[in-house]
Amino acid sequence: MSKAILSVSKLGKHFKSERVVQNISFDVHKGEVMAILGPNGAGKSTTIRSIMGIMYQDEGDVIFHNHDNQTIPRHKIGYLPEERGLYKNVKVMDILLYFAELKDYPSKKARQRVLHYLAKFDLEGKENTSVEALSKGMAQKVQFIGAITHEPELLILDEPFSGLDPVSQEVFKREIQELADGGTAILLSSHQMNLVEELCDRLFMMHKGKEVISGALADVKAQYANFKCTIYGENDRAVLEQLPQVQRVEQDAHSLVIHLVQDVHITRWLQNIPEELDIQELSIDRVSLHEIFVDVATGNHSDQLEGVDHA
Amino acid sequence: MRNSMKVAKWEYKRNITNKSFLISLALTPLLFILFATLPTLLAGMDSEDDPVTVYIEDEVGVTSQIEQLNQRNEMNWNIEGAPSDEEAMMERLEGTENTAYIPVTESALQEGDIPVYTSKGMSDGFSQEIRMLQQPLQSMKLQQLDLTEQEMDVITNGVTLNSVSVEDTGGAPEQQSEGNQQVAEDPMEGVVPGAFAGIILFSILMTGMMIFQSASQEKKEKVAEIVLSSLTPGELMQGKIIGYFGLGLTQVFVWAAVALPIAVWRLDDIPVIEYLFVPELLLLILIAVAGYLLFAAMFVGFGATVEDVNSSSNFQGLVLMLPFLPFIFIGPILADPNGIAAVVGSYIPVTAPGVLLIRLSLLETWPWTEIVVSLGILLVSVWLFMKLAGKIFKVGILMYGKNATPAEIWKWLRA
Repeated sequence: MSKAILSVSKLGKHFKSERVVQNISFDVHKGEVMAILGPNGAGKSTTIRSIMGIMYQDEGDVIFHNHDNQTIPRHKIGYLPEERGLYKNVKVMDILLYFAELKDYPSKKARQRVLHYLAKFDLEGKENTSVEALSKGMAQKVQFIGAITHEPELLILDEPFSGLDPVSQEVFKREIQELADGGTAILLSSHQMNLVEELCDRLFMMHKGKEVISGALADVKAQYANFKCTIYGENDRAVLEQLPQVQRVEQDAHSLVIHLVQDVHITRWLQNIPEELDIQELSIDRVSLHEIFVDVATGNHSDQLEGVDHA
Repeated sequence: MRNSMKVAKWEYKRNITNKSFLISLALTPLLFILFATLPTLLAGMDSEDDPVTVYIEDEVGVTSQIEQLNQRNEMNWNIEGAPSDEEAMMERLEGTENTAYIPVTESALQEGDIPVYTSKGMSDGFSQEIRMLQQPLQSMKLQQLDLTEQEMDVITNGVTLNSVSVEDTGGAPEQQSEGNQQVAEDPMEGVVPGAFAGIILFSILMTGMMIFQSASQEKKEKVAEIVLSSLTPGELMQGKIIGYFGLGLTQVFVWAAVALPIAVWRLDDIPVIEYLFVPELLLLILIAVAGYLLFAAMFVGFGATVEDVNSSSNFQGLVLMLPFLPFIFIGPILADPNGIAAVVGSYIPVTAPGVLLIRLSLLETWPWTEIVVSLGILLVSVWLFMKLAGKIFKVGILMYGKNATPAEIWKWLRA
């Protein structure tokens, strides 16, 4: 496994008597995308703010491996906070150069990189535009450029996709992937599960301040994302519930979803399907990250964990 | 510190290119020029009245002296000799305007009662102008007495009364004459550097108020968290304070560059430059700078608690009024610069800078013990306020969506 850039261990934080984050531990490695997932109020931003030193944790440690001293190597980190904005009455280039200067990045190089990224993000010629004149999506691209101009070794993105149209989401996604391929360690939090699923190498899902699921994406999917079989047609739910290795069956107007236990052998299981079933359409796939996420968010993941128990 | 300077540079650059700042920068000296020149311009328009024709029946030979007086004081008189026919002159006066007739006869001079006949429509200024004739006429009269030079001196010197307090004379009799001289000296000598320091204080306070806005804006525009990923809240706060200090100084330099030449030109009887650049100015500037730091700390701290400046009609708005507190003390200080109100004002941190500046401008002898105590209080308060502002700023700047309540601010202060 590649080298860890950042380690968070046993992080804890409380506001007044409420524990908003407890016992959170994970690593972020060079060249990988690590996703923190969780519903609103799960403690994602608190965790990120503690890493950035914007908030101080009550318990636990945040370690930056390439730096011996106790202080956060701020000029080596790029940060796109969830609450983000730009000074209004300044030019795009000026504010980006200011952000780079704060990171001690040489101004000439910064200017070149800014122009490069503006062109890449379809903002060519906007460098002398006033920030006020930018649309929301454009401003978000400028903020993103601000977070990466100084070639950070660790990039922390808190909800980078929120408020973006699908085209811009694609642009961001591609860029994040490229940065990771270039060796940048990336920690991102997001609600957009489909994007995370396509992007991340590892994930850390939290709920109510605690870790729920964590690990490499493939492992998590193998462990938690059981197979499900969706059948369109008029069928009796009870019949399907009688089939072997069925965890539960969900029914809506035109279809039935059969959730299977984890160690099911699909081809062998398919042979159990009765001939008289009305099948307009049938599909077999794994439960998506989105569904795991919704289950976690609604506190309904016990079924999944049961699935694990069977294993 | 290096990070603070980056912020300071940014804040300075951002504002110095800001249109509204530039407009106020240019407009203030223009207003100053306007106020300095307008009264004289208006007065000039008045004096452009037709000249007054003054007929003088001169039996004693005073005309040449009156002519000198006329020139020296720009009285705009047109002096003519008059025949000794008084009645004919009176008739002539009735038919004209702006004309006067002064019969300076031997007998009138002896009696000490010289009539001045004027035509209709004489300006009010004229009756003041003729008083200036008193002095040459009086000396004329004295000369006629054939006195010795010494006797003349005694009479013309008259008697003046000067009050000199024992403190000022320092007790020793030799110094009495020195003390005497000091009182006779120009009071402007103290006022000029004091006023200059006052302008510095005023100017940097005005820009200091921009800190309040800047901190609030940082929060409103949500840039704070991005910036704080590169530096600490303390550095951000310091940077703002330094940046706006620089802006204030720029303002002072621009204003001084315009105002000083005008002051030197307008107040030609006061050696402004000589009075301004005295060692005392350094202390006065120190007071002004300490005053700035005190208020800057308050503004930056409270600015960080306000998201919407328009809705800060609550107590944060009151903070902006604090620099104007010394005005309460102005009356009592002018009445007695060493009075109890003045001393108390010098010991309250928020009023100390203003009160000290006013007092030191007025006082001939500086109360050094009070100055030292007051400066001590001021500097300790600056240190304390900076610390407290740092605490408020750190939490406040990252609190989104609402203005902080006094209770919340109190909690952060105790944290």
